[in-house]
Amino acid sequence: MGEKLTRTQLKNLERFGGVNPADEPFSRRQFATQVGGYALLAGGTVAGGLLLRDKWGMEGVKPPPPVRLKSYSVAVPVSKPSLVVVRSAPVLAEQFTSKELELQAREDQAFGMVKAALESMGGVDHFITRGDVVVIKPNVAFDKNPDLAATTQPDTVAAVTRLCLGAGARKVIVCDNPINNPESCFFKTKVGEAAIRAGAELMLPKDSYFEDLYVGGETITGTWRMLYRPFREATKVIGISPVKDHNLCKATVTMKNWYGLLGNPRNQFHQNIHGIISDFALMMKPTLVIADGRKLLMRNGPTGGSLNDVKRGDTMVVGTDHTAVDSWCVSKLLERSRSDIIYLDKVIKRGLGQDWRPQWTQEITV
Amino acid sequence: MVKIRRAYEVLFLGLFLFFLFITDLRYLKGWPVSLFLEATPLVAVATALTTHTIYRNLVWGLVIIAVTMMVGRVWCNWMCPFGILHHFFGWIGNRRNTKQMIEVNRYRKIYSIKYYILTAMLVMASLWIVPTVIDAPGEILQAYRGSELPQTGVSRVFAAVGAGISRSAEMHKLSNGTLQIGLLDPIALTVRSMTTSVLPTVHKATESVYTEPREYWQAWIVGLIFLGFLFANWWIPRFFCRVVCPLGALLGVFSRFALWRIDRDPVRCTDCDLCLKSCEGASDPQADLRKSECFVCLNCIEDCPHDALTFRFLPRKASEIALPAVNRRALFLSGLFGLYFFPMTRLSGGVRKNFQRTVIRPPGSVAEDEFLRRCIKCDQCIRVCPTNVLQPALFEAGLEGLWTPIMISKMGWCELNCTLCSQVCPTGAIREISLAEKLGVGPFESKGPIRTGTAFYNRGRCLPWSMDVSCVVCEEVCPVSPKAIFTRNVEVTSRWGGVIELKRPFIDPFRCIGCGICEHECPVKDDPAVYVTAIGETREKSRSLLLGLVEGEAQDLISV
Repeated sequence: MGEKLTRTQLKNLERFGGVNPADEPFSRRQFATQVGGYALLAGGTVAGGLLLRDKWGMEGVKPPPPVRLKSYSVAVPVSKPSLVVVRSAPVLAEQFTSKELELQAREDQAFGMVKAALESMGGVDHFITRGDVVVIKPNVAFDKNPDLAATTQPDTVAAVTRLCLGAGARKVIVCDNPINNPESCFFKTKVGEAAIRAGAELMLPKDSYFEDLYVGGETITGTWRMLYRPFREATKVIGISPVKDHNLCKATVTMKNWYGLLGNPRNQFHQNIHGIISDFALMMKPTLVIADGRKLLMRNGPTGGSLNDVKRGDTMVVGTDHTAVDSWCVSKLLERSRSDIIYLDKVIKRGLGQDWRPQWTQEITV
Repeated sequence: MVKIRRAYEVLFLGLFLFFLFITDLRYLKGWPVSLFLEATPLVAVATALTTHTIYRNLVWGLVIIAVTMMVGRVWCNWMCPFGILHHFFGWIGNRRNTKQMIEVNRYRKIYSIKYYILTAMLVMASLWIVPTVIDAPGEILQAYRGSELPQTGVSRVFAAVGAGISRSAEMHKLSNGTLQIGLLDPIALTVRSMTTSVLPTVHKATESVYTEPREYWQAWIVGLIFLGFLFANWWIPRFFCRVVCPLGALLGVFSRFALWRIDRDPVRCTDCDLCLKSCEGASDPQADLRKSECFVCLNCIEDCPHDALTFRFLPRKASEIALPAVNRRALFLSGLFGLYFFPMTRLSGGVRKNFQRTVIRPPGSVAEDEFLRRCIKCDQCIRVCPTNVLQPALFEAGLEGLWTPIMISKMGWCELNCTLCSQVCPTGAIREISLAEKLGVGPFESKGPIRTGTAFYNRGRCLPWSMDVSCVVCEEVCPVSPKAIFTRNVEVTSRWGGVIELKRPFIDPFRCIGCGICEHECPVKDDPAVYVTAIGETREKSRSLLLGLVEGEAQDLISV
């Protein structure tokens, strides 16, 4: 400090012991840490920014690549039927002293029917092998009592779950994206409870479980939101559906059942209902489909709501091709003219499925 | 030095006002008018949190951060137009004597409020981290078990961790986070205030800004807030910058690394406190410098009678307070508020289930959820819109969407051959579209035009439909070819028994693009007989109306 200091400043200097701390130059170490640290940080910030930089502006809104569904189908052994119709004497309420016994008998009946059908198709083990993850898609679109036949029967879901687990499946997932409230639907159709009791995992349609699925069909020309999460790990897929009337497409059986996997705004598909249902034949190649025709909803579909609309069918139809199963059910169970079901014609015309034929079909009674 | 700074202040404020003025169809040309909005680091940081990307030129913000880490918050007193306005306003309104000025520039505890505001806003933008962390273990496990990763052994573990976390983040960034920094970011706030209240007011006085005066729905609120912040300088100088500004807070955090700073020579200093007289940041230059508060205005150096203050390279660590003085509990609480704010506002339903028919976004806007994660409410799109149709929303788009742009067709219409708003958007909330893409011609033929909504008739108010009067102005102005509005000729028996022929208009929803010119031109002015609502807009699949118009492919907006 060359210049002359005032008295106050001299006093300050004295307080510091004669050395002005501000005069000390920075140490080499301080220089290295601060300047080096700065260079690292600033470089890191700008480099990180350039790394995250969205040069064309749209990386951030680019959707993830769409998922695709693989084929889950298993060919039936040679000389075995690909469609089996099982008939059974009805389980009537008056035969039982308690409701529990009746329900048990119904489940045993469903188990017996599906098992018998699969036996004649080559055995359960032919379709479900050890370690499989099986996705079961019931139709629980509405929160209705199962007796109203608008939804899949819970005992069938339980029976199929038990069959799969018995055949060595690692996991069975039961899922649907219903029209009515999902919790309510799985609860009131009793499907949720039946699935859990039989040992399946119940998967409710959470928002984050949906992904863009590539379909590339006639109505879904590109992709659509789909409840894809269960299919991430699935190795086998089984659709279990009721056999019922539908106000627009005339019949809901196993193929329309896949509608329940789509996300919103799926109600737009009513602008081309036959096109969308025929797209399901392209979208989904299931291992098995099961049409539970023990109860039939003959009119007022797809919601039903009165026992007067329900008819006894005492039949279970199991097959590997949903086209053939649906075709058999609409003409033999729902008493529709086959020509009314336009979506089946579309499927066949597009070469995505084949109509049922007597030589591939077997009818048995248990 | 102070003179140089003043020159910079004039330069940057001038540049800002120049850009603001030429954000207009007549003058825009190729000027980089979004430069200031792109240079604010807060926008870069916050949009990086919400979108996981940094949109195009927002990297400028990181350059500003790098500069701040070298020389401190120079942005605040040399470049920021709002800061410069405050500086100017405080100077105009100053009636204090030297003693009072010294007292008013001492550091106060309330100056830490800006850090709490910043915390809350950044937490709002990063809520997705919570579900990402919760879901990450499951995703990592799945990635490890799955067949997608080629690695084996230990490297597989690392790859699975990376893949799992990114997958989880990708899944949850959607609809988990909101961008609210625009409310208080100084540049966004200034552009918004200028656009919707100052410029229209200037035009009223001088009739020199627009060809036709602009009106903005309820913009007086924006104007009052702007004025309020300016007048607050008379109470506390640089009130906004010291107390409120979240950008200042962000830069304050980064300025801890600054290599240069104001340094006080403790021997030369006689504790006269004169350095406080015009200290802009209230950063205590008379004691240990509060590095995070200093605006690097350099006034203190000029004011010191003993040359005890210097702007110095690597001064002693002991004579500075490097980090902002924040209360940890208050910081925690503000983070908690940020965490709570997003679900609270989003769950009021305005974005998805109960989306409002009046929220008609300009063409090129991304899906609403993504829009709210990108829009900083700077309203530059509103500034450039040539027809006045773009308006700052109040609560139409929810609390989150305050002052985001919506189209009010009674105010104007979306000009068919115009994509200006998409060109000036700094963050990609309105992504840049070409005219060909907007109109759906050329390479976009198969995708069809961009639709912003669909028009409907209110037949009870339509002249030919309900009053036996010929009209169809709507058909006349419908700009698409073939027209989306068509007519059917009818012969009706008039009230007096004669026969009159009328053309009654209809909408072809496959043609309508929702531009709103029919609504704007409808002679039933107060409640037009033809009106546009948001349904059918192409930016979001879930808002489509007709199956035939649903975007088939997952929109790949880059390769087209």
